[in-house]
Amino acid sequence: MIAALARPQVGFRVLGALYLLLAAPPLRTSLEATMSGHMLVQIPLLAAIGFVACRLLPVARQERLLDAGGGAVPYVVLVVFASTWWMLPRALDDALASPLVEAAKFISLPLLVGLPLALAWRRLGPIGRGFVWTNFISMLAVLGWLYIAAPVRVCNSYLVDQQESAGWLMVKLALLLFAGWLASLFVGGGGNPALSTAEQVAPPPAPSRDCGPERN
Amino acid sequence: MATYTYEHIPDQGAKAGVLAYLATSAVVLLLMMVFGLLMRLEQAQWISIGAIRFYELMTLHGAGMVGIAAIAGASIMWHFLRQYVDLSSRIFVANLVLFLVGVVMILGSVLLGHFHGAWTFLYPLPGKSMGLWSPGAAALFMGGLLVIGVGFLLLHLDIARALVARYGNFSRALGWPQLFGHDDGKAPPPTVVASAMVTVVNVIGLVVGASILAMMLVNLYVPEFDIDPLLAKGMIYFFGHIFINATIYMAVIGVYEILPRYTQRPWKSNKVFLASWTASTLMVMFIFPHHLLMDFAFPKWMLIMGHIIGYLNTVPILVVTGYGALMIVYRSGIRWDMGSKLLFLSLFGWAAGAMPAFIDGTITVNYVMHNTLWVPGHFHTYLLLGMVTMVFGFMYYLGKPSHEHDDHLIDRIAFWLFTSSVLGFTMSFLYSGKESVARRYAAHLPEWVPYDRIASVFAVLVIASALVFIGRFFARIGLARHDYQRAPVARSVAA
Repeated sequence: MIAALARPQVGFRVLGALYLLLAAPPLRTSLEATMSGHMLVQIPLLAAIGFVACRLLPVARQERLLDAGGGAVPYVVLVVFASTWWMLPRALDDALASPLVEAAKFISLPLLVGLPLALAWRRLGPIGRGFVWTNFISMLAVLGWLYIAAPVRVCNSYLVDQQESAGWLMVKLALLLFAGWLASLFVGGGGNPALSTAEQVAPPPAPSRDCGPERN
Repeated sequence: MATYTYEHIPDQGAKAGVLAYLATSAVVLLLMMVFGLLMRLEQAQWISIGAIRFYELMTLHGAGMVGIAAIAGASIMWHFLRQYVDLSSRIFVANLVLFLVGVVMILGSVLLGHFHGAWTFLYPLPGKSMGLWSPGAAALFMGGLLVIGVGFLLLHLDIARALVARYGNFSRALGWPQLFGHDDGKAPPPTVVASAMVTVVNVIGLVVGASILAMMLVNLYVPEFDIDPLLAKGMIYFFGHIFINATIYMAVIGVYEILPRYTQRPWKSNKVFLASWTASTLMVMFIFPHHLLMDFAFPKWMLIMGHIIGYLNTVPILVVTGYGALMIVYRSGIRWDMGSKLLFLSLFGWAAGAMPAFIDGTITVNYVMHNTLWVPGHFHTYLLLGMVTMVFGFMYYLGKPSHEHDDHLIDRIAFWLFTSSVLGFTMSFLYSGKESVARRYAAHLPEWVPYDRIASVFAVLVIASALVFIGRFFARIGLARHDYQRAPVARSVAA
């Protein structure tokens, strides 16, 4: 089953079906009925569709797209701005009130968040990925906290209790993601820990001397 | 049972980045020491700078010393860790650049914006200055801390990357296969174990710190976004306590690496050593409530946890390291020089400095001692005679002209002057605490002034001896880059 999904043709069909399902009125209205469903299920799923779809593209095409955009950093910047927009309460309200904005959401999240993130991820390396993760997690926690602490109703379309509930879910999700990311550092293979201390020492950058440095 | 033998590791000189870190540390350390002296002189009523200037200096002294301890500790860790794993020099330098940017922001906030809410920036003080500083000044201070935090986060992510690339995962870098299974004597060296521990706890602490800083910045401009003050305090102390604890865990790597070169005995990564570092990896994250014991509104379980774990965490690494150092030195025929003497002294400073915290961590004692100078007595002993002394030892080691070079008389005098004056200085704090002298007061009662005057005299002597150490480091900075044997061969080996 999983092997079949990994085949591009099958994968694209499954993603297309999921996309249509999310856009179909029954699921769309039920997810958008609550702030948590809208922010924490529908929006991430749309971005995830773009991410996975990009991964199904041939590697050469991904590389060409990456080069055309100027490398990983511009794509990460694009992801940050596009995803930040859809975190704003005003954007959620607009999406519910205007079919045009709703359509923009369904197009921009896969294309401007998921796809560029998948492209950039290939070249980010462990430090860049770690930075994106820790930044995302702390921002998710802070956003959740802001929703909990907000003195006013931030969305016209959702009540204060929904806002608080979404805030708490974001904080909990941030904690879970952080714990999961940390735990992932403690498992896995690779490396070669069995070498002795002397073998582990990298060769010195310059020839060593025994009797002190030369002085000019 | 695994056997351990000393394997000689070629002595490498410091990279330019390490020396830049140490030079920055030395300069800022001296400046912060002078700020500290000015505060003591004000309390001693020998100068009159006024309360506002006093609190500005206190804010700079606190934030500056924590920051510089972290920079100096990171330089020691990076210098030795890069001999085992492939670290990025660019990230290392980027951290220093971000640190300096953060320092400039903090200096601007305090000296130009007159922010003086202490390094703890406890909510809601930064936003409620009663006109003494602007929201912009508070934002600049907290923004500076954020920038410094981002730099350290990058550094730790790079260390995490390098450890995972070399050892596969953190479990192996912490030596868990040897700790929980058969000890085959192939556990990672102490430097790797300590670096892995510091990376884990600092990444967690920095993310928590960044979260509360971001939240307080929002609150600064939109006060309606209210924050629970107790939660804010808990998060600030969680971050701050981990960060300052990590500085000594980074610096102690110098002891693990350098003392064995003097005695030609290995520092063993045995089960006890690995267990102590694993235990502290967990416990260091749960001891911060011992700073909150006076906040009765905190949940009782948290305060009890702080009390118990505060007791427990004093023991593992400190005892294992102290005992390990004694065993390495005992009958080794070590030839003492400034580097080895300072490193050995630092372990005494660490142990002696932990004791007042151990006592203060007792809830009933804490109620009467925590807001006195007893606590500054604790952390000045721990940091000045422990952490900073490790850094001085490392500086002397790097700059030693050759392994047979004898120390100058002035260095030997400075060593004993430093030791005695730091003891006098810290004992003045501790005795003042015992006499119930309140901490963080710019003006002192007449009965307290004699202690302040004694402390001021000792502070001058501490600065004088530190000047000798730092002057010697700068005089020999050119030698520090070269690869050659620095540690004299122990008599037992030479014979």
